[in-house]
Amino acid sequence: MRRNTIVFFVVLFILAILGWAGWANWEYHKQAAERAEASAAAHAEMIPDLSDGTLTYNSPLNGKSAPAFTLEDLNGKKVSLASYSGKAVLINFWATWCTPCKIETPWLIELRNKYAPQGFEVLGISTEGDDVKPSDKAAWDKDKQAVEKFVHQEGVPYPVLMGGDGIAQPYGGVDDLPTSFFVNRKGVVVAAQMGLTSASEIEGNIRKALAD
Amino acid sequence: MVGLKKQVYAALVVAGVAALAAQGQIFGSNAQDRSIAKVDAVAYLFPEQVTVPAGKASLVALHFRIAPGLHINSHTPKEDYLIPTTFSIPAGSGARLEAASYPAGTDVTLPIDPKTKLNVYTGEFIIQARIVATRGNHLVQGKLHYQACNNSQCMPPKTVTVAMDVIGK
Repeated sequence: MRRNTIVFFVVLFILAILGWAGWANWEYHKQAAERAEASAAAHAEMIPDLSDGTLTYNSPLNGKSAPAFTLEDLNGKKVSLASYSGKAVLINFWATWCTPCKIETPWLIELRNKYAPQGFEVLGISTEGDDVKPSDKAAWDKDKQAVEKFVHQEGVPYPVLMGGDGIAQPYGGVDDLPTSFFVNRKGVVVAAQMGLTSASEIEGNIRKALAD
Repeated sequence: MVGLKKQVYAALVVAGVAALAAQGQIFGSNAQDRSIAKVDAVAYLFPEQVTVPAGKASLVALHFRIAPGLHINSHTPKEDYLIPTTFSIPAGSGARLEAASYPAGTDVTLPIDPKTKLNVYTGEFIIQARIVATRGNHLVQGKLHYQACNNSQCMPPKTVTVAMDVIGK
C-alpha cells in the first residue's frame, strides 16, 4: 500500500513537470504571437525584431566544398569560382530590390578592400528571384541596368555576376536575401549567413575563411 | 524496498530528461534555420464571390493579410528600386479591372539603419478594385504581385492568385 502511494506520487510529479513544460511552451509562443500582432497593428516607425534569439544559419554546406559555378559579369565575361582557388572568397547572393542587401554592401566594400591584400575577394551574385521568366529578356535587361546603376553608384570594386538564380539550388535554394557563404582558400565553406547581420559579424567570418 | 527505490530513481531520471527536453523545445529554437521564405507572406481573405451589374463598373473591396513580422512594399514605395504591390486581372477572365485604389502605406525605418525609409503594408490591408464584368458567372484569377521582407531578410518577389467568383447580372 505504501509502495503504491509512493509510485502514485512519483508518477504525479512526472506528469506535473510535463504539464508545466507544455504550459510554458504555449505561454511563450502565445506571447510571441501577441507581440507580433501588436507590432503589425501599431502605426510604428520602427519594425520590431521578432527574432527569438541569436541569429544563426546552419547551412548544410558548412564544412563542404563550395559548389562550382561559372557566371557572367556585367561585361559579359565568364567568371568561375575555380579561378579564385587559393583565395578566401565571400559569395554574396543579393538583389537590387533587397534593402538589407543594399545596407550591407558598403560593409562588404570596406572589408573587401581591407582584406584583399591577404588574398580575399567578394563575389556579388545578383539574384533577381523566382518571378522573372527565363525568356523575359526585357525584364532581365531591366534587372541588369538596375545592377549596373547600383554598382556604379556604390563604387563596388569586386566582381558582380549575373544569373544567380541559376546556381541557387546547389547553394541550398537561397530563398532569403542577403545570403552569404564564406569559403576558405581550399574551397571549403567555413561559415554562412542569412539576412542582414553586422559588419563585425561579417568580418569575423572573413577572418575565419582566411585563417583556415 | 530496494526494488522500490530503483523504480523511484528511474522515474525521477525520466522526469528530469523530460523536463530538459521540454526546455530545449522552448529555448532551442534560437538555433533553428530562420528562413522566412517558407512562410506565405500574403493571404487573400475575401470576398470569394461577388455579384455585380453586368457591363457596369463596380467597386469590390479585396481583403488581404500579411503574415506577422513581415511587411510588403506599398503601391508607392519610397525608392524606385523597390517592387511595389500591384493587383491585376488577366485578359479573357470575363471581368476586367478598370482601376485599383491602394491604401496608403506606413512609413517605417529598419532598426539597423534608421536612414533607410520604407513605405510598407503590414497586418491587413484592402485594395478597392473597380471591376467590369460581362453577364454570366466568371471564375476570375486575379493576381497580386508583391515583395516581402522582415527587418533583416527579403523574400523574392511573388505573384499570388486572388480567386474570386464574379457574377455579372
